[in-house]
Amino acid sequence: MVARREVLQKCLALGSIVIASDFSADSMLFAFQKGEKPLAKPTPPNPLGPFYKRLAPVSNILRAPGDPGLPLTLSGQVFDTRGDVVPGATIEIWQTNHHGLYDVDGYRYRGKQTVDTTGAYSFESVLPGHYPDKSRVCQHVHYVVMAPGHKPLVTQLYFATDPAFEGDPQRNYARDPLLQTPELIRPVVLTGEPNELHAKVRFELYLERP
Amino acid sequence: MNMKVVALTLVCCLPVAASAQSGRQVKTINLPAGVTVQYGTMSRAGTLVATIDSDNVVRVWSTRSGELLQRLADGSHPPSDLVFSLDGRYLAIAYQLVPNEKGVVRIFEVDSWKMEHEFVVPDVFALAFSPDNRRLALSGMVTQAWDVKTSRMLADISPPFGGSTSLSFSGDGNWVATADGDGHVRVFDAGTEKPRSSGTEFALEPLAVAFSQDNKAIIAGGVDKTVSVIDPETGKVLRTLSKQPGLILSLNVSADKNQVAVIYGSADSFGKVDHLMLWDLDTEAVLADFQKPGITVVGGTFVGDHYLFAAASDSQLSVWSLR
Repeated sequence: MVARREVLQKCLALGSIVIASDFSADSMLFAFQKGEKPLAKPTPPNPLGPFYKRLAPVSNILRAPGDPGLPLTLSGQVFDTRGDVVPGATIEIWQTNHHGLYDVDGYRYRGKQTVDTTGAYSFESVLPGHYPDKSRVCQHVHYVVMAPGHKPLVTQLYFATDPAFEGDPQRNYARDPLLQTPELIRPVVLTGEPNELHAKVRFELYLERP
Repeated sequence: MNMKVVALTLVCCLPVAASAQSGRQVKTINLPAGVTVQYGTMSRAGTLVATIDSDNVVRVWSTRSGELLQRLADGSHPPSDLVFSLDGRYLAIAYQLVPNEKGVVRIFEVDSWKMEHEFVVPDVFALAFSPDNRRLALSGMVTQAWDVKTSRMLADISPPFGGSTSLSFSGDGNWVATADGDGHVRVFDAGTEKPRSSGTEFALEPLAVAFSQDNKAIIAGGVDKTVSVIDPETGKVLRTLSKQPGLILSLNVSADKNQVAVIYGSADSFGKVDHLMLWDLDTEAVLADFQKPGITVVGGTFVGDHYLFAAASDSQLSVWSLR
């Protein structure tokens, strides 16, 4: 009889199982043997940057009617590194507008929400612009995620469609001087009619315990 | 503070302010071909300036002769910050080993350029020596105070999230003030980690912090473009200096006068650091206002009755005197 470990190892070797990027083969094998959930890699951190603003409104609607830019839905779930949902986590995001400018006088494109019992969140926004100074910083959205019993996560979400990546984020991610890993670059799904396109991006967040 | 990181992520959106120049260029240093200065610091006596350059080399220059005194390279690891001890005997350099994760701090004896101490730390944005040079505070992913000789961590004063962009020891070495990413200025006992007050809340991030010369006030500024004078006992903002067009990136307090040099980012563009103002903290008067497009102010110090600072352009490092 073939052991479960052997089957899994062979499948991995032949590439017949697609492993989600958040789980390593070793951790899956170990967990499979132990009958436990595999450990996921925590979401990589990224600098806070200087434009965090305290007291952001509790809202997941950051886009106002008539705002310029491609409408964007950001969504995902918050997990711990065992893959368990983290209900009650607070997610705060902020980003530039379509023209690449942060609102430091007010709270446009800044908001926070507490995830539901499934750990799910979503924000309605627009695709952030590039900074207008032609710096190499790619389009991004800042995240701060806090949950009791977990380390705070400060990170940023990047978009695979950013022209700076030239269609190959795995190869070209370092073109952004603050981006140290392609794991923070997420695919963008475009939906809707050609004249009413809407971008959707999923960004799952994995929190560490202290 | 790590102006490199801040500058890469700056957006300023107000119109350019009228500028006035009262600075005098006292030395010009030609940089090696193809090399640009990214950040720098000056010794308190004003005799040395150390720069982090685009080739990941730290160069130390004499501000009097313009001579290159030392070149410190560490392979591919980029330096992230550097600071002289207040007595000028040591130069501490933080190198980034793993971005956002791990760094190393090396402390060099300035006369011999021998490395005296080394300790591995989390990734570092900013460094500050205590007045007695025995302790080194660092901020980045975390904020900590270390004993230099034993390489032992004495205090972990990390904010809830976001690290600290700038920190400063009080003149007596008893307290550390931090400008924290979560929008607070906090003051801690440098030995016990005990907070001195509940801190000062700002809506926008403070990016620079320093104790006043008499230790009776904390000077802070950042994205709100306004210098705030804070009571360290209560954390209350006592007064503010008039708002300027650029973000406040760095503060230097005079050791013997109640004056502060404030380095502002340019109002009209990212990453330009070309505006310097000297303020009298007693009268709130502007003593000098220096702005020169095309240069980046990289660090300075009060020497006698003037403020000496270094500024970089594409091919040169220059030393300026401002009264």
